[in-house]
This record gives sequence, structure tokens and C-alpha cells, in this order.
Amino acid sequence: MKKSRGKRFTGWRTARRISQAGFLVLFVYLAAEAQVPQGFNASLFAVTGAGKDLRLSAPVTWFFDLDPLVGLGTMLSTWALKPTLLISLAVLLAVLLMGRFFCGFVCPFGALHQFVTMVGRKKSLAEKTRLNQPDSSQHLKYYLLILFLAAALLGSDQAGLLDPLSFLYRGLVLGLFPALGHLIAQATAWAAGSAGPLKFLAYLGPYAFDPVLGFGPRAYQGAFLLGGLLVFMLVLDLVRPRFFCRALCPLGALMGLSSRYAALNLTKDAEGCTRCGLCRADCQGACGPHPEDPWLRHECHLCFNCVAACPEGVLQFKFQFMRPGPEPSPKPPRDAPDLARRAVLASLAGGAALVGLGRASLAGVQRPEPALVRPPGSLEESEFLRRCIRCGLCMRVCPTNVLNPTLAEAGWEGLWTPYLNFDLGYCEYTCTLCSSVCPTGAIRLITGKEKIETPLAIGSAFIDRGRCLPWSGQGPCIVCEEVCPTSPKAIYFVPYETRIDRDRQVTLKAPQVNLGRCIGCGICSNKCPVEGRPAVYVNSVGETRSRTNRILLPDAARKKE
Amino acid sequence: MSEKITRRQAVKRLAKLGGAAALTVGAYGGLYGRNTLAAPETRLEIKSDFRIPGAPDQVVVARSNRAGREAELVAKVLEPLGGMEKFITRGDVVAVKPNMSWDRPPELAANTSPEVLAAIVRLCYRAGAKKVHLVDNTINNAQRCYLNTGIEAVAKETGAGLLYPESKHFKDMDLGGRRLGQWSVFMPVIQADKLINAPVAKSHGLTRLTLGMKNWIGAVGGRRGALHQDIHQSIVDLARFFQPTLVLVDATRIMVRNGPSGGRLSDVIGRNTVIAGIDQVAVDAAATALFDVYPDEVGYILLAEQQGLGRIDPGAGKRIEIAV
Repeated sequence: MKKSRGKRFTGWRTARRISQAGFLVLFVYLAAEAQVPQGFNASLFAVTGAGKDLRLSAPVTWFFDLDPLVGLGTMLSTWALKPTLLISLAVLLAVLLMGRFFCGFVCPFGALHQFVTMVGRKKSLAEKTRLNQPDSSQHLKYYLLILFLAAALLGSDQAGLLDPLSFLYRGLVLGLFPALGHLIAQATAWAAGSAGPLKFLAYLGPYAFDPVLGFGPRAYQGAFLLGGLLVFMLVLDLVRPRFFCRALCPLGALMGLSSRYAALNLTKDAEGCTRCGLCRADCQGACGPHPEDPWLRHECHLCFNCVAACPEGVLQFKFQFMRPGPEPSPKPPRDAPDLARRAVLASLAGGAALVGLGRASLAGVQRPEPALVRPPGSLEESEFLRRCIRCGLCMRVCPTNVLNPTLAEAGWEGLWTPYLNFDLGYCEYTCTLCSSVCPTGAIRLITGKEKIETPLAIGSAFIDRGRCLPWSGQGPCIVCEEVCPTSPKAIYFVPYETRIDRDRQVTLKAPQVNLGRCIGCGICSNKCPVEGRPAVYVNSVGETRSRTNRILLPDAARKKE
Repeated sequence: MSEKITRRQAVKRLAKLGGAAALTVGAYGGLYGRNTLAAPETRLEIKSDFRIPGAPDQVVVARSNRAGREAELVAKVLEPLGGMEKFITRGDVVAVKPNMSWDRPPELAANTSPEVLAAIVRLCYRAGAKKVHLVDNTINNAQRCYLNTGIEAVAKETGAGLLYPESKHFKDMDLGGRRLGQWSVFMPVIQADKLINAPVAKSHGLTRLTLGMKNWIGAVGGRRGALHQDIHQSIVDLARFFQPTLVLVDATRIMVRNGPSGGRLSDVIGRNTVIAGIDQVAVDAAATALFDVYPDEVGYILLAEQQGLGRIDPGAGKRIEIAV
């Protein structure tokens, strides 16, 4: 049998596995690097001097720059082509030549699916063959792609919901990383309390795990759902191999459509074929590699499993710039999915419905949502929603953990986009890190100088006098004023005469907010000793990104003091 | 039910039954009546008084007429006290408590100057310290604070340890104060042989000035915001608990308004001064003059003297001024 393979190169499957593992490691590494470094890592990776804007040295947006779905989606929703998006078009050009190599060789989510499929469940040859047959569920992803692109054209980029890189990144950094972090913290605390060699493990935590999982305990709104969805998608692989890739992935669909005229062909020598059927058993894409099946070029992930499995060596990938005529083999290949016209039209309508229904259910259409405080540098809301792919990168790099994925705060249309949750953190006055990592410019790049001197306000603070200690006659407290970062401070005191217990006349320093100076950073709310529902809170009103969500009458002659 | 079983099967079944019974009894015996609630923390026998008996008790104010001479200032201010060697002995682990709580560049004077800090660390090492740690429970995000204040660079250049506060660093201790009893202490501050308080002098909305004694708020955790409800007594309680080996107040640049965070260069005045001593009250009192404030106008300084923590006036001939 070996002889019949001749001198043909058979290492492509191994090459594909090495490539997948490499890109998966790179993906996790770039996710690990997307945080403010500390200690040892700070001396290696921090790009800053005292007083300069902190930037990350690792190209943390790299995978999103590469992603043609992000590029195309943003292009359609904004009608503009940004330089970073050009890189993704280069990837698409490579797909035009070679087919869906990205799915087989590059995509880290695909690698995970493939890995789970491989080790997840023992299956008989017959079952494997059955599970890897093409079926109509593979069409779904094309309709989803059309739906997302239609929505993008209407000004709402929703592709990030299912874009594999966004999906994986979000689930990883907002779900599984913090979850693991908490478990490891618990384990190290337990190890620290124990005797003997286990104690050593306690010292491992900050060096082995924290640089990847995140320094300090982290929490994100809906982490359960985000991490859970990721795990759920992987579990589905046990039911149908690479289910996400085959049925749901809009990026895979985009690449499938783009591979129509690819030069890299699977050639089948039907005459040498013994009909053993081994090629069907491990076909990742369910693309019909068997000489008796038509090869579905648009479904093929270029995994090279069929080539490696074929004992006769009759399957080969070849660059053929001139397509040969109809093959003598029983079934000619198919170059594009067989999409039903009605379904395509329905998908287009679905995209429109997605946008329409999303807006119809968003309170912000009628009036601004007070809880929706966006990160500094965020574009005006409609422009923001044209760009945000909900990858979670900004929330990952945020040093105080204030940036969180929305649930209802931005309506259905803005699900999982970033907002500030002041229970978990506050916006650091000099920090502009989130703006420097946004892959699509939904948060535009700003400098600390611009943020402070403009100033870029993200909301306004209000005092709840019924809960505030001085205002409610409980006694002195100045925390909100102390931590207020602006100069002069936006929170100031007025003498307030009141009584403690009816008979004790006191004069307290009661805090008031100067809305002209407040930038809505929320440190007052985050540090307020009246925890749970702080006596000072921040709403989005007053945000400089909006021209309407304001309070004060603008003074054209004078900048905000 | 009438199925016959072999002897082997019978033995297996009996073993399983017996095992299950033994596990049940064992678990019952082991867990019955077990108190699963953690026992309340007892007082930890860790010292928090780092004073050296018989150390020179002068208050030294070293002043220069130009900026950028931090290293000389720190060295000279210690000379009348006998130098750093008087306070640090060979092999000591030294905790230095700067103020590095704010994500602000050095020139805004919200934090202890990195140059002053570097000079202190170097002198400690020269005096034979085994390890110097820079410790502070920051208010702003620690990673950003350390990078932006230039203190990360100080740690790297001088070989000082720099700790990022984590929950495991905090333990409830009995502070034994008039107001503060059990409170969460940032343990690295007192897990050392010597403790040097190295605050920056600046304005503060509630206490008027923040100097050495107030710097101890950065040595505790818990609900620190609540301390402001009785700020002066809280500070005095903390200063009685944390008794440093030495106090070095950085007044090279002082923030005169919008404290403690500041934010504008116009809030800052250059004073090129460093003040040293072992009497926490006297050192803070000496620093008030830089702000044209009388010591008894700062509540916690007056209260500390009244409660016998130290003396506002160090006494005749005990106040030394040097020009650098």
C-alpha cells in the first residue's frame, strides 16, 4: 500500500495540525497580553513612561485585523475602508486563490472544534462516516451571513455575535478566563493554608496563571452566559463534528462563497479508487471527498484528512489555474452552495427585520438610556453600533474592570457592547487604553491629553441626598470629593446645617457636583462608602459624544472649565 | 430472586455492602457536629512598632534652592540623625511606605517623588538592607499607578520589591485604637524588620493637609472610605498602631490645592525640601510651614499631640535646618 503513494508529499495533515496549534497558542497569547502588565511583565511589555499614554506592545488586535468578516461588515456599515481592514481583504484574496485554508489552518475557534471532535467521543467508522456526510444544515451559515451583511448595510453590524474570532475571544476573556482565575485563586488559597510541598503551588499562581487569566479577580456581567455559550458550542461538536463551522459560522460562509474560483482543487483519480470510504470518515468540512460524491469546494476546510486517509493515494490537492473540463469521474465538483432564491431573499429580509426590531425595542430611540455609559472615545451611538463587533477586547484591557458587556443597557441591537459598570470599577482619569485597542474604531483612538483637556465626558454624577451621609445628617464623609480626579474638582462642599438626633446641631460639609466639570468617570460612585446603591451615581447624560444627551446649555465662547 | 450466584459474586457483593456501610459510618462520624463556619480571627502577634530605642529625635529640614537634587537632599537630611546606618542594620528587610496611590505623573505631586524614593531605597541597600519593599494599598488601579508615577521604574532600577495589593495580603488585626478596633491591615507594611514612612506633602479636602500620619490610610484595607467619618481620630489610631523606624516627608514638589489627587501643574509648587525624623507628630508639624499653615490647624496633628503620640514642638535645639 505504501508503495502506491509514491513520492507524493503526505505531511499536509501534520502541517495543518501544527499550524492550527500555533495559531491557537498565538490567539491565547495575544489575549493574555491584552491587559495592563505588572511586575515582571511590566518591565518586558509596558510601553510607557511616567505621564505618557500607556499602550500595549503586543499586536492584540491582530486576529481581528485579519478577519474578512470584520473588514467587510465594517466596510458595509460605514461605507469606508480603514487601513487595518485592508489586511483582512488580503486574507480574502488568499481565499480566492486557495479556498478556505483559513478554516483549516488558521482559525483558532476551528482548531478548538476540531480538537473537541477528535478527542470528545469514541465513534465507530460507520458513525463517523455518517456524521461527516454533507447535509442541508450547512446552508444555514450562508443565510446567516447574508442576514448579517444586510443588517450591516442598514447601519448595524451584528456579525460579531457569531463571528468565530469575536465569539471565541468574548467567551474566553469575559467568561472562561475569569472563571478559571477564580477557581485557581481558590485552589491557591487552599494550597497556601496546607502544609508541605502543596504550599509551593500557592506561589505559582501570580506567575503561572495571572499573566494569562488576568491580574486580580475579575468579574463581568453575564460571564456565565458568555462562557457557557462557548462551552455549549464546543459540546455540540460531540453531536455533529465542527457544528459551529459547518452550520453557523458566517466567516466560513464568506470564505466558502469566496472560494468559488479557487485554483486549489481536490483531484480524484476514480480509476484507482477501491471505494473503501476511509476518506469520508474524518472529513472536517463534510465536503464529499469520495470520488463517488461531488466535492463541495465551498465546504472544504482544507484539512487534508482525506488525503492522509486514502490508502491508494488517489486524492490530491493541486493548483490548477486552468480548470479541466468535466471530469470522467462519476460526480463533478460543486463550486458554490446551492442556495434557494427564496431563502436568500428571506435572509435579506431577516437582516432588515433584525435592525428594525432591534431599534423598535430600544428605549434609547425615544430617549437616552441613563445606564448606558460608553467608554471614553466612543463614537456617537448610531456610529458606535455600526462598528462595534463585541469582541470584548476593550473590556479585557480595562485596568479597573469597569468596562462590561451590556445585557439590556444598550437594547437588543447593542447586546454585549461595552458599557461602564461602576459597581465593578471606574474610568481611570489618565487611561485611554480601551481606545487604543478597538479593532474597528467604535472607540476612536484618543490620548490622555485630549481626554483630560477637552474634556471628554462620558456622563455626569448625581448625589442621592437621601443616602449621602452628610446630606442625610449621618455625619462627615468626603470620599467622593477626595477621589474626584478633575482639577479643579467637580465635587465641592457646601456647609450644611443639620441635626444629628434632633438635638445635636452640626454643620457638615455636604458634597455637590459641578456638572460643568464632571466627566462621569464614576470613581466617586465606585468608592462611595454607601455600597450596594451608592449615594453618588453616574448617568450617561452629559456625554460629549452625543449632541442631544446633554443637560447644560453649551457656551460657545468658553470651553468646559 | 431465586437466581443462584457464585461464591465469588457473593463475596464481591458483601464487600461492596460493607464498604458502603463503612463509608457511611465514617462520614457520619467525621462530619457530625463539625462547625463549618470559620473561627473568628484572633489577634495576630506581629509587631507593628518599628521604633528603635534611643534613636536621635531631632527633626531635620533639608532645603535646596534648586530642583533635581533629590538624592543629595535625602542623604543630607539624614546626616544629623547619623545616616541611614543608624536605622537600618545589615540583613534587614525594609518596608518603605510611599504614597503612590494616584495614577498621576510625578510632576503633579500626587505621589511621592520617584527620585526621592529611589534615593531612600539606595541608602537602605547601602546600609546593608537585605531587601527593600515598596508597599501601598493604592486608591487608583495599582498597575497604572506604578507605571504612571514612575515607581515601577524605580523598583526596576534599584532592585526594590513592588507589590500589587491582592486580597491575600490583608488580615484583620486589632488596632487597639480609640475609634478603630478590628481592621483589615495591608500586611506587607508590617511584615518587615524596619518600616520607613515616605509620604508626599500635599493638600487634602477634609484634613487640609496630608502628611506622614495620614499616609497610614494606605496601609490598611477594608472599608477605608468610612474612616472619613471620624478622620482625625482614625489617623491618630493608625499612627499609634504603625510606628515607623523613620519618617521622610517628600516636599520637593507640594500640591497646594485640589488635593489629594490634584491634576494640574498650577496646583503644584516646587519646595525642594525633605523632612526627616522619628517623631511622627513633630515631622508632620514641621511640614505644615511649607503650606503657611499652623500645625494646630491640622486636626490630626493637634489630636496626636493631645493623645501623647509625639510633640508638635520638638524642643529647643531639636529642629535642624540645612541648606543643600
